[in-house]
Amino acid sequence: MGLFGDLLAPRYLIWLLQGFGVTLALSAAVCVAGTGLGLALCCLREVGGRFAEAVTTAFVGLIRNTPLLVQLFFWYFGAAALMPAWLTAWLNSPHSLPLGPADLTWPAYETLARFFGLTLYAAAYIAEECRAGLNGVRPAQREAALALGLTHFQVFRHIALPQALRIAWLPVVGQYLNTIKNTSLTMTIGLAELSYASREVETETFLAFQAFGIATLLYVGAVAALEAAGHSVARRDPAGTTRR
Amino acid sequence: MNVSVVTDNLGYLLAGAWPDGPVGGLLLTLILSAASGLASAALGLVLGIALAMSGGRTRRVLILGLGLFRAVPIVMLIFWSYFLLPVLFGLAVPEIGTVVTALSLVGGAYLSYAVAAGIESIGRGQWEAGLALGFGRWQVLRVIILPRALPAMAPSFVNQWTALIKDTSLAYVIGVPELSFVATQVNNRAMVYPAEIFLFVGAVYGCLCLVIDRLAALFAKRRRPPRSRSA
Repeated sequence: MGLFGDLLAPRYLIWLLQGFGVTLALSAAVCVAGTGLGLALCCLREVGGRFAEAVTTAFVGLIRNTPLLVQLFFWYFGAAALMPAWLTAWLNSPHSLPLGPADLTWPAYETLARFFGLTLYAAAYIAEECRAGLNGVRPAQREAALALGLTHFQVFRHIALPQALRIAWLPVVGQYLNTIKNTSLTMTIGLAELSYASREVETETFLAFQAFGIATLLYVGAVAALEAAGHSVARRDPAGTTRR
Repeated sequence: MNVSVVTDNLGYLLAGAWPDGPVGGLLLTLILSAASGLASAALGLVLGIALAMSGGRTRRVLILGLGLFRAVPIVMLIFWSYFLLPVLFGLAVPEIGTVVTALSLVGGAYLSYAVAAGIESIGRGQWEAGLALGFGRWQVLRVIILPRALPAMAPSFVNQWTALIKDTSLAYVIGVPELSFVATQVNNRAMVYPAEIFLFVGAVYGCLCLVIDRLAALFAKRRRPPRSRSA
């Protein structure tokens, strides 16, 4: 048995695959919520007046200039202490929303903290990519639309935003890739995602090469697949993402 | 809000057990980020030049390798170097070395693209003029291209450095007592004011990144006037 010698027992492979499933599920949820929140932030900054601009700028700067790990610690350990007692109690108690055959159960506080921390982080970066996209729309486009009698909001909604999203698409996909990698930090606050699983398998089997190797391949596979999907969406876009 | 938990532990948060014990806290964060910042700048420069100057199969292999480093979470890279460095060198590597290795590789991989893009942004005419004067390819690179391309790349190096400062927090996963790790130690000991501790630590990282960002902007502004005149 050398470095490559032993294969992992099926049980450990299942651990890794379960971890991969958690990584993918969390990434997907964060990407969806982060895109929504990021777009909202970007729009608020653009059309919400000076106060909204100051608030969103400060928020984005705060998130982007501190480590994600510290943010996760804050949401996980710290936020509960700052919230009013009734809110903490409500978040900690189980709730469920009866939705016909499948009840929607309210997730545990830990799950919420991880999801919330990652989502805010992704949203701040996505908001910046969208802003860069808006800046990439030529000023003449807005002037022409204004000259045609559209209001400022209409110009934003129908002229600037669609072009900006097209410009911002590939950078936003880059943020989705970062999100997949960022979910690995939730292992520090006890989520059994892929990195956590690989370390558990390594501790139990001492087969570091296999455990880390499989986890690495799964990450690379997920990132490569998402990147390819992002590029194929960009190519299919009739207006062309690469054309400015 | 209770700031005493921060003020009581300020020395530990800023320097760890130093000078009575090993360096830790903010001081170790600065050391880690400076070491990996320098190493990733060197690595990024070498790999970026290799990327810009090579072609065909070498270039494809290089792109694949760099892509690999950018596709894997830094936590996994820290695990890898924690496990592989002792195997490769046959001796125990301190955790700090493990972290610096992992961060330098990631930083270098990201920077190499910026360096290659910087070199490729210099017009073909410059290359052709240099070659026509009888310089070799590497001479053109060293004498004509790099002196013009390097200042343009400076912002990428600064951005990478601020990213590295934030990424040093990942040293937490192998128990290196940098700022984030000592913060969780203080939090575990005090138990009562987690929000204050992590807000303070976040503010320290934020100030550090903002100061570097401002300094870089200042530096860039001072450089700009002569460049725009010469262009």
